[in-house]
Amino acid sequence: MFDRKTIRRRRAALVAFVAASMVLITMSFSGGGPLGAIQRGAQDVVSPIETGANRALKPVRDLFGWLGDSFDAKDDNEQLRDEVAGLRKELATRQTARRDADQLRGLVGLRRTDGFPGATNPVAARVIARSPTVWYSSIRVDKGRSDGIRPDQPVIAAGGLAGKVTQVSGGSAQVTLITDSSSAVSAQVVPNGANGIIKPEVGKPDDLLLDFVQKGRRVRRGGTVVTSGFASDEVKSIFPRGIPVGRVSRVDLDEVELYQRVHLKPFADLRRIDFVQVLTKRPGARAGVPSP
Amino acid sequence: MSPTPGAFLRVGLLLLGAVVIQLSGLGQLRFLGGHFDLIPLVVGGVAYYAGSVPGAATGFAAGFLLDLLAAQTMGASSLVLCAIGYGVGRFRELRDPSHGLLPIPVGAAAAVGWVLAFGAVSFMLDVGTASVSGLVFREMVVTVVLDTLIALPLFGLVRRLIRPSLAVDPLERNRRRQSPRESGPLGLRGMEV
Repeated sequence: MFDRKTIRRRRAALVAFVAASMVLITMSFSGGGPLGAIQRGAQDVVSPIETGANRALKPVRDLFGWLGDSFDAKDDNEQLRDEVAGLRKELATRQTARRDADQLRGLVGLRRTDGFPGATNPVAARVIARSPTVWYSSIRVDKGRSDGIRPDQPVIAAGGLAGKVTQVSGGSAQVTLITDSSSAVSAQVVPNGANGIIKPEVGKPDDLLLDFVQKGRRVRRGGTVVTSGFASDEVKSIFPRGIPVGRVSRVDLDEVELYQRVHLKPFADLRRIDFVQVLTKRPGARAGVPSP
Repeated sequence: MSPTPGAFLRVGLLLLGAVVIQLSGLGQLRFLGGHFDLIPLVVGGVAYYAGSVPGAATGFAAGFLLDLLAAQTMGASSLVLCAIGYGVGRFRELRDPSHGLLPIPVGAAAAVGWVLAFGAVSFMLDVGTASVSGLVFREMVVTVVLDTLIALPLFGLVRRLIRPSLAVDPLERNRRRQSPRESGPLGLRGMEV
């Protein structure tokens, strides 16, 4: 059917494309080199087109969202009523506790530190693209360096932590979500203060794991998990203290394990994010932990 | 497909449009946990009508664009998509299919190849030792089903867009090859003789 020359040329073409792909993968893992700059340049060029396409396709997205929401509306309604009742009680308790804490802080002369939201200056951004993989790892937003966005700034959505900025170009920024396999966030359960590290279960964006929580610390279902803003002499968390992350949905107590594994449902709906807020640092804000 | 500037321009614009729509719109349309994925279908469509080498080249270019704009590991999508383009193109060259509904199984096969192979490659390169939920497989199945549903119209659209650049349109050639049914003697008209 084909002569030898055609067959040889066809095979050579395939080998060339596979080899080129392998070279690209190797370059990506060896620091990127010019690839990173090319990626940022291409994103800058294409981001206005993506913004336009995103806006044009919004009605279709909304229609699909409405269909999905209609199925879940009844369950959500009941769940939200229960949650509001619980939060009213919690609010009353917290207000009393806060007043006590303020008085005690004044008594011992403890310096007040600015965590979230005090130390931050939120910049609202629209999601213009999201990673097409099943791993829910990243999104791109339409604000960039010119809007004060810098790498490692925290990103929140719907009142909960969504991720951090990993790459910035002039007019857009790449956000790696907390569901990315490389993500690890130091966090604590309030009110009891059990500390751990939030890690994702890849492919399951509505269930995160708070790992390395000491067994002795009793964690109850429904507790709120916030970023702990951990800092020591050598390392410091990039997330300021107090950003809400999610609510405890389940606690796994394994007899063999040293730590308990706490499952939490994130406040941010990481499958469907249209808008986010990038927490740029407020000028003059004091961040960190209280000085001794 | 003749490697003319017009052909490069046509396929280039087709890929750019598909990648932008995928990243900015379709990728965010969640349905039963899955989403439509245009990329393997567009690559499969070009390979189906143009052959293995243009299919592999289109797959490589589509993957390059996708990795570039989605800020993923460069080369991962290119590797998988050039193999898919080559495979679909070889299928067309070897079997020379003519059935009008064939884009449905071909599109489904391209989607299966993409979600499995890209899932495996990105797992090895990016995910590593993190725990993976079983929901990933449900999402893959839903994505394949959704892609199968849109394969036929999408292949038709791809054919329409690249047709001026095709050296030989396989569907036209197969149509011409069929013996005219009205050519037999009067009594045998309509019968395969």
